[in-house]
Amino acid sequence: MLDFSGLLLGFEVAFNPVNLLWCFIGSVLGTAVGVLPGLGPAATIALLLPISMKMGSPVTAIILMAGIFYGAMYGGSTTSILLNLPGEAASVVTCIDGYQMARKGRAGPALGVAAIGSFVAGTFGVIGMTVMAPPLAEFALKFGPPEYFSLTVLGLLLATYLAGDSPLKGLTMAIMGLILGSVGLDPLSGAVRFDFGVPDLQSNIDFVTIAMGLFGVGEILINLEQTEAASILTTKIKNVFPTLVDLARSGWAMVRGSLIGFGVGILPGGGAVLSSLISYAIERKISKHPEEFGHGAIEGVAGPEAANNSAASSSFIPLLTLGIPGNASTAMIFAALLIHGITPGPFLLKEHAPVFWGVIASMYIGNVMLLVLNLPLVGVWAQLLRVPYAFMAPMVMVLTLVGVYSVNNSVFDIWVMLVMGIFGYLARKLKFDLGPLLLAFVLGPIMERSLRQALLMSHGSFGIFFSISRPISAVLMGVAVLFVLGNLIAGFRAKRKAAAA
Amino acid sequence: MNSWQRVAGIVLLITAGVVIQQSVWVLRLFDHGQPGSGFMPFGLGVILAFLACLIIATHRGPDEKRVPFWPSRAWLRPLLAIIIMGVYVVAFDDLGAVTSVVILVTAWLLLLEKKKVWVAAFTGVATGLVVYVVFEWLLMTPFPRGLLF
Repeated sequence: MLDFSGLLLGFEVAFNPVNLLWCFIGSVLGTAVGVLPGLGPAATIALLLPISMKMGSPVTAIILMAGIFYGAMYGGSTTSILLNLPGEAASVVTCIDGYQMARKGRAGPALGVAAIGSFVAGTFGVIGMTVMAPPLAEFALKFGPPEYFSLTVLGLLLATYLAGDSPLKGLTMAIMGLILGSVGLDPLSGAVRFDFGVPDLQSNIDFVTIAMGLFGVGEILINLEQTEAASILTTKIKNVFPTLVDLARSGWAMVRGSLIGFGVGILPGGGAVLSSLISYAIERKISKHPEEFGHGAIEGVAGPEAANNSAASSSFIPLLTLGIPGNASTAMIFAALLIHGITPGPFLLKEHAPVFWGVIASMYIGNVMLLVLNLPLVGVWAQLLRVPYAFMAPMVMVLTLVGVYSVNNSVFDIWVMLVMGIFGYLARKLKFDLGPLLLAFVLGPIMERSLRQALLMSHGSFGIFFSISRPISAVLMGVAVLFVLGNLIAGFRAKRKAAAA
Repeated sequence: MNSWQRVAGIVLLITAGVVIQQSVWVLRLFDHGQPGSGFMPFGLGVILAFLACLIIATHRGPDEKRVPFWPSRAWLRPLLAIIIMGVYVVAFDDLGAVTSVVILVTAWLLLLEKKKVWVAAFTGVATGLVVYVVFEWLLMTPFPRGLLF
């Protein structure tokens, strides 16, 4: 069941001093961006994509990025608890009870339980990934073009419906991502599309440019609208190691959060945000003291923090085994693998076993590093909140502008990034979720190639996607159709109810 | 906010129109009886047009509560940032990367953050040096040459 030889190979790779160092740097950077509000893990990974290209080994680059991603889940709770301001989206729920605990002088136990919950769940998620990923990769070898097309359609639909507030806007952004992904050379015929006579557009828009524009520049522009700085809670952080009573109250919440996060994290679009929301709702529902929720219930911190960390780990399963990223951060890691000439998917385990197992093993090590970084050193991270955003914003902007140039040494790319940044800023203001756009941009070429190859196989018949002779594709498409119909009916009923009321 | 959502819907509708026009007139929908380079973009254009119409339709009428798109001149700082970045890109080739970085950071801190001149200038020069060391020296990025560097 468990491939010990693979895992041992992974630890051999992960314990390489260079990889260990980058795992540590990734964990530190991840915690820092988690702590600092205004810069999420997706934006940070985007900023580091150009630097990762200069790294010789792909496994080192992915270890760094994975570290940032799950490290941000740890750090996010610090700002939520101390400032009532989520360091990143997955920690929104932690604000509710975490900040109330801090106001009552219990910031230490809240931060401690968040770190322990994150460690327990993060490790649980990686163990689950170690067990589940190889058989899933084996199963995915049966996938042909129709299956891949159906899988990308279902993945995009789930990501659109589960990730944001408005499925309509999410779907619109996904379509925009697919259109942007089709600019440049057609992957099958070689025809140039949507270049409008601009030579630089003939060679496809670079993923790094899009990602840095939408998530780097866009995020900074939206943050510039806020001129007021949040004030840090000035109480001294003490007793970060929770008492036995605290642990007894939060233990089962961590276990439940780990399980919820693992399940939800595998779904495209599910991810850390949704899992933490579900975990909080469940904890409140089953609690013997639901009235304490919202006033400093420790379960309200432990459950969601465990859930978002477990989800962060399990979201690597579809990425590494099927080649389907489920959220913006894993889409960046997907792109980083492609940049290094590695195609994520079922063949990753067979053709690049050291990368596959090295990343998994590094996550075990990274979780231990993060526990050490976040439990005894939490006071140091709290000090980071005193760095004024006024200085951080131009630094990040410089990193973005210089970084995007260094990818192709092209000034045109900087212009494209600026345009994407303005687009991202306006889209955020109009409450359009940008995650589906980036996912669709990454999945677009796979989707188009599989669609056209499948139609070639079937001599132009769309029946191939629903055919009994392709049961996997038929099931995936069936689920996608049911999902859309179910949501449409639910929406229609809700509207009728509202109209009747 | 409804009016702005409708504007977004119209922009998306125009985008969809351009995609459909290009897919049909410039690219090929079918090539030798098989889907051509315009096949998928055409489908995407049609879906985008439909979704844009839905956005416009679901945001009809006036807002229940009038919320300004940019409350109290909130557009000013993002606009200034865009202008500074634009100047950076224009100056990039002629002044060189490092000098452009110094100008960008100094201008940003002076105009957007209202910092003292010496603080802005010192931070600008320090950032320029870090960029030079990390990108040009360590990562060997071939930046365009200009003033000073």
